[in-house]
Amino acid sequence: MSPTDLFDLVLLALLLTCAIGIARLKDLAACAILFSAYSFFLCLVWAHRGAPDVAMTEAAVGAGITTVLFLTVIARVGRREK
Amino acid sequence: MNKRKFARVFTMALLAALAAPLMYGVLELPPPGQADAPAHSNVSAGYIEHGAELAGSENLVTGVLLNFRALDTFGEVLVIFTAWLAVSAVAGKGSETGHDSTPPSPVVDYVVRLLGPFIAIFALFVIVNGHVLPGGGFQGGVLLGAMLILLSLALGRESVADLVPVRSWIWLRAAGVLAFSLVALLGLPMTGYLFGLPIEPALRHALMIVLELGIGIGGGAVLAGLYFAIAGVESS
Repeated sequence: MSPTDLFDLVLLALLLTCAIGIARLKDLAACAILFSAYSFFLCLVWAHRGAPDVAMTEAAVGAGITTVLFLTVIARVGRREK
Repeated sequence: MNKRKFARVFTMALLAALAAPLMYGVLELPPPGQADAPAHSNVSAGYIEHGAELAGSENLVTGVLLNFRALDTFGEVLVIFTAWLAVSAVAGKGSETGHDSTPPSPVVDYVVRLLGPFIAIFALFVIVNGHVLPGGGFQGGVLLGAMLILLSLALGRESVADLVPVRSWIWLRAAGVLAFSLVALLGLPMTGYLFGLPIEPALRHALMIVLELGIGIGGGAVLAGLYFAIAGVESS
């Protein structure tokens, strides 16, 4: 297995960890931050796969703006999932 | 076996039955990067070979977005504008003024004042260099929107109102749609086609920058507007 494949595998494992965490956690603010981390790992996958345009969009939209919007909504509706 | 347990096992079985054909389908895909895979051999091969010259953009992604598939991008810009219309219809334009942020500390205040102009310049750089470097209107627009949200969060909504006149918001949000409509109609007299960009390089370049700026300003204003609507900060 080449080092690039290993890098991909590590990133995919981290993505999976984030996804499972988001599904299991009841704290919505923690979920929003995990979504941000998820987007950032996905951004690394895109960059590593040679798609810098998509990587930039993922970093700006996924890790940046959506997290702010999620947190804003959570500030209004309450932090715990019922 | 009680009802709940049965439901759980049944769901797992259904999911497994769905996952198996999907996994099988993935196994059938050609390996990544294989040159003669169907995805790389028909239209894409033509784009890669002649795209930069035909579209007038060294960044092929931008060439496809603004030239070959301009109609699709017009759709995306409309979707973004419609998203803001929908949110503002449901949440209001931010007329509830309950959420008024005060600067948390002089440090945050100072850092945001220092960073703001740099973020704005970087956003403009990303927008107008979309045809040579990775990035473009959408990415730069998100940066602009993030800057406005940052200002509003740290310095309060008055700082944004000082920066952007309240009445211009609706036009800024429509900038993408307006720029695309304008360029689409200009294409008719110049080339005979909707969205046709002229062959003359300087003119084509100028029109592409108009499109990029429209996407960027429109996207940024819409994203800031979404935040204002959800957070209840007044913007228009």
